[in-house]
Amino acid sequence: MDALGRVAVIAGYEWKRALAKKKVLALIILAIAFQTLIMVGLRQLFVGGFLTNEASSLIWISGVLEGGLFVQLIAIIVGGGSMSEEYEHGTADILLSKPIKRVEYMSGKFLGGFSLLAMVEGLTTFVGVILSLWFFGAQTGLQFAPLMFLAIVYSSLIFFCLSFMFSELFRGSTIAMLFALGILFASSILSTILGLLYGNLSRGFPTWAAISFPPLLMSELITAPSTVLPAADTGALYEAALIIAVYAIVFILIAAFRLLKSDVTKKTG
Amino acid sequence: MASHSVLNVSNLTKYYGKFKALDSVSFKVDEGCMYGYLGPNGAGKTTTIRTMLGLLKPNQGEVQIAGANPSKDPVRALQLVGYASELPTLQTFFTAEQLLDFMGKMFGLPMQTRKEKTKHLLDLVGLKEWGKKKIGNYSKGMVQRLSVALALINDPMVLIMDEPTIGMDPEATAHFRNLFTNLSKDGKTIFISSHLLDEVQRICTHVGMINKGKIVFTGPIEQMLEAFTQQWVVEAEVEKVTENILLSLKALEFVNDVKVDGNKLSIELKEKKDVRGEISSEIFKQKGVLLSLNLRQVTLEDAYLQALKGGQ
Repeated sequence: MDALGRVAVIAGYEWKRALAKKKVLALIILAIAFQTLIMVGLRQLFVGGFLTNEASSLIWISGVLEGGLFVQLIAIIVGGGSMSEEYEHGTADILLSKPIKRVEYMSGKFLGGFSLLAMVEGLTTFVGVILSLWFFGAQTGLQFAPLMFLAIVYSSLIFFCLSFMFSELFRGSTIAMLFALGILFASSILSTILGLLYGNLSRGFPTWAAISFPPLLMSELITAPSTVLPAADTGALYEAALIIAVYAIVFILIAAFRLLKSDVTKKTG
Repeated sequence: MASHSVLNVSNLTKYYGKFKALDSVSFKVDEGCMYGYLGPNGAGKTTTIRTMLGLLKPNQGEVQIAGANPSKDPVRALQLVGYASELPTLQTFFTAEQLLDFMGKMFGLPMQTRKEKTKHLLDLVGLKEWGKKKIGNYSKGMVQRLSVALALINDPMVLIMDEPTIGMDPEATAHFRNLFTNLSKDGKTIFISSHLLDEVQRICTHVGMINKGKIVFTGPIEQMLEAFTQQWVVEAEVEKVTENILLSLKALEFVNDVKVDGNKLSIELKEKKDVRGEISSEIFKQKGVLLSLNLRQVTLEDAYLQALKGGQ
């Protein structure tokens, strides 16, 4: 079996493992419930005359984007347990005593976890579109939904990689998730405050890129009222894309360094 | 038995912080050999095994499994290895069949082979009826059995087992002892770390002993018995112990000392030599009635305890 085959075996294992954990399924249900609630709220605004017809025909964008916070949370939960739970349960020994290189093992874990996350994001995008059609009738710009989905997947890389890195650094899932959640909320609050005070300075924080990238991309493709999308800003779009890539690469390199250079610890849970 | 070594551990040193867990550990295990790895708790047995598998990074030294270093080339080195860890924790969300199939995949086995092996191995370890049940429902002994099955999925050339029968009932222990003996007869090299000295003496051809991170002995089991046994003892039971019998036995040139316990004599010898003939003649000469006479078998436990004391 070649390296790709070994990576694929671990990725498949990661899917099975993550789905066996009921919390991932619970979060998917919660994300869909949250989306439904948002749609019901928007529908009330529409009925009350607070939304224009133009905005309501593009409401699928809001429907999909409003799940953004949940997507980041799911990214943190999937990434935070990926490496650490194998140490906690003592199964890392079993896996790494098989003919596989550590880098292949980590790649399989990463791809398995991230593809699972992408599947969840695909589901929430699909549900968002369906709910918009159901609550608001015909929608425009739906041909861009697949691109929106890809943008959301790409933007979730930051917090997935951050949590994945903590998962390997701490080798404990709870602490990994707590640290990643702490950074998500701290970054969110700080970037908002700094954004208000100093404008572009907030862009260095990971939440700015993670949250802004999908709507910035959509605003390049669709002309929409400011209640739905921000004004098009190509520079900001490229900046967000670059920040996501840089953060993700740095986090993954740190995790890989830790895995390659240290002992496989015994059961820690 | 072939003479080339498939497992070659040389000068392995491993620190945990400032604590030296392994101190220049070296030994070789020949192909087809059944090697027992002994030592008290905390001596470094599990550390040696985990370093051999590339799970721990040694500070010094290296391991070669069939010519490949598991730290540098795990794909080649571990392809030939089966490993059953001490008190394993397996993936509880899998059934035994699913886990065996997954492990088969990790070794690149085709689907049909995995299916056949899964069926065969579950039967072999006595878990045929449990194959479709989640591992989370298994007892410790069943997990241990499954762990051995997992170690055999790739038909390994080298089987490394850390306390493989711990947690098993006596019947299962006997079953697995036979299994390991048969695997050895099939030409597999078996490396067993164990506290069960009796088990090791029964099935192993070679032993290695580690104490405080240092190898105390490595070689054929007979050599260890020889090397760490201070003296041989002949135990004689006579109808009545008389002064004459005692004095005459003590006067024999090869006798070191004679201890009396009722009508039993414990005759310590100066040399490691079977002198039961001479002793029985002497007792008869002194008009004694000999009821039984035994050269006390030296056990691995005797040698082990002696080795721990540091004597040779």
